[in-house]
Amino acid sequence: MRFKRLCIMFAFCSFFLYAGLIVSLAYFFRGSLFAETLFNERTFYSMRLSVSAATIATLISLCIAIPSAYALSRCHFPGKGIIDTMLELPMIVSPAALGAMLLIFFSNPAGSWLQQHGVQFVFAFPGIILAQFITTAGIATRLIKAAMDEIPGKYEDVASSLGASPLKSFLTVTLPLSKRGIIAGAILTWAKALGEFGATITIAGSMAMKTETIPIAIFMSLSNADIERTVILIFILIGIGIGVLYGTRLLLGRMPYDWK
Amino acid sequence: MVFRLFFTCTIFLTAMFFIATDVRSENEERLLLFVGAASKPPAEEAVKLFEKKTGVRVEVIFGGSGYVLSQMILAKKGDIYFPGSSDYMEKAKREGYVYPETERIVVYLVPAINVQKGNPKHIKGLEDLVRPGMKVAIANPEGVCVGAYAVEIIEKNFTKKQKKDFKKNIVNYTESCAKTLTVVSLKQVDAVIGWSVFQHWNPETVETIPLKSNEVVRVGYIPIAVSTFTQKKVLAEQFVDFIISEEVRSIYKKYQYFSSEQEAFAWIGQKPVGGEYAVPAEWTMK
Repeated sequence: MRFKRLCIMFAFCSFFLYAGLIVSLAYFFRGSLFAETLFNERTFYSMRLSVSAATIATLISLCIAIPSAYALSRCHFPGKGIIDTMLELPMIVSPAALGAMLLIFFSNPAGSWLQQHGVQFVFAFPGIILAQFITTAGIATRLIKAAMDEIPGKYEDVASSLGASPLKSFLTVTLPLSKRGIIAGAILTWAKALGEFGATITIAGSMAMKTETIPIAIFMSLSNADIERTVILIFILIGIGIGVLYGTRLLLGRMPYDWK
Repeated sequence: MVFRLFFTCTIFLTAMFFIATDVRSENEERLLLFVGAASKPPAEEAVKLFEKKTGVRVEVIFGGSGYVLSQMILAKKGDIYFPGSSDYMEKAKREGYVYPETERIVVYLVPAINVQKGNPKHIKGLEDLVRPGMKVAIANPEGVCVGAYAVEIIEKNFTKKQKKDFKKNIVNYTESCAKTLTVVSLKQVDAVIGWSVFQHWNPETVETIPLKSNEVVRVGYIPIAVSTFTQKKVLAEQFVDFIISEEVRSIYKKYQYFSSEQEAFAWIGQKPVGGEYAVPAEWTMK
C-alpha cells in the first residue's frame, strides 16, 4: 500500500512540475491582450495551419509506420537491425539538424529536380508536413512496433493454419489486437507534430499567414522581445494540444495508460 | 531495497553532475554576453582574445537580437547586451535593461542585396527583385533587424505596384540574420536583402550587389552596452572598452565591417545612422 502511495506521489510530482510551469506563465499574462491575440486573423491562421499540418503528417506517418512496424516485428530480413536503429535518428539528431538536412537535400541536384518537377517543399506548406513527418515517422514506427511485439506470433500462425493469407491474418488478427497501441502511437505522433518547431522553421521559414505555425509564432514573438504575446500563444498551444488529446481520450473512453 | 536503489541513484546522479560540470571554474571570474547573430564570426574571435588576455571566462549566448534580449529579461542575468543593430538597443535602453551611458558603437553595417556566387540571375539592383519568377527572401522584420532594414528600403523605393510584385516574389521570411545568408548559400532563393558583409562571411557561395546610395535609408551599427542585470559592472565595462579597441576593430575589419561612419559613407554615401524603424503592420500581419 505504501509503495502504491509513493508511486501516486511521483505521478502528482510530475503533474505539479508541468502545472507549475503553466501557472508561472500567469506572471506575464495580460487578459486584454488574450482576446485580441486569440481572435486575431494571424493567430487563427497559425492555429488552423498547425492543426491541419500535424493531422496530415500524423496520417502519413501512420501509413508508413504500420507496415514498417509489422515488418520489423514479424519478419526477418537482411538489414533489419540497421533499419531498426535508423528509426531512432529523429531522437538522436535534433529537429533543427533534421531541418538542415532537408534544406541541404533540396539544394542538391536531386532535391532541386524534385522541387522543380514535383512539389515545392522549401518555404511552403508541404515543407511543414515534411518536417513534421520526418521528425515523427521513426517514433510512430517504434511505438507501433512495441505494440505489435506484445502480440504473440502464434495467433497469426493459427490463422494461417486455418487458411488465412498473410494479409488477411494481418488485417483480422494483428491489426485489431494492436489497435489500442496504434491509437496511442497516433496520439503521441500528433502531439509531437503539433509542437514541432526546429525542423519546421528551418525548412518552411517563418512568414505570417503562410508558414507560421503556433510554435513558430511563439518563437517570433520572443524574437521581438514581446513576452506578453509569447505567453498568450503558449496558452493557445497548450489549450489546443491538451484539449484535443484529452478530448480524444475521453472519446475513446479510456484513461491515459489504461490501454487494456 | 528501495533505500538502496535511491542511494545508488543519488550517487550516480552526483557523479554525472561532477563529470558534466567544470568545478574548477566555479571560482573563476565570468562574464555572460547576449549577442546578436549579426556579428557572430568576429565576436567569437574577440571573446577568445579577451579570455586569453585577461583569464576571465566569457560565456556567450548568440541569437536574434530580440530573442537574446528576451532571454536576458526573463533570466534576469547577463553582463553585456551586444545586439546586431541599434533597433533592439533602443528598446533595451527605453525599458531600462542596459545602462545608456555605457553604450558604444562597435562597427557599422550597410544593407545590400546578396545573391548566389556568379550572380546567375544577373541581378544589378533593387528593381530586378520585382522581375517575374524571381525568388527572394528577407529576414523576418518582426524580430530580425536586417529584415526591418529591408522593409524600410522597399517601402521607400518601390511604387505600390512594385511592392506588390516584390511581395509576390518573396518565398518566405528567414528567422535570423545567419539564415538569411544560408538560404542564398544553399541556392534556395535568387536574392536576399541582407548586409554587405554577408559576402565575406561566405565568400565561396555568396556575393554582394550594392544598393544605390539613394535607395539606402539608414546605415546600421552594432552597439554594445552593459546590462542592468550585471553584478560585475566594472568588468563588463572593461569588456566594452576592449571591444571598441583598435585590436578588436581589426578583427571586424577582417570581415569587412565598416569601422567608422566615414568608411560606411565612403561605400554608400552620407546617410542617417542607426535609430529605429516601425515596420508597417502589412509586413507582420499583426
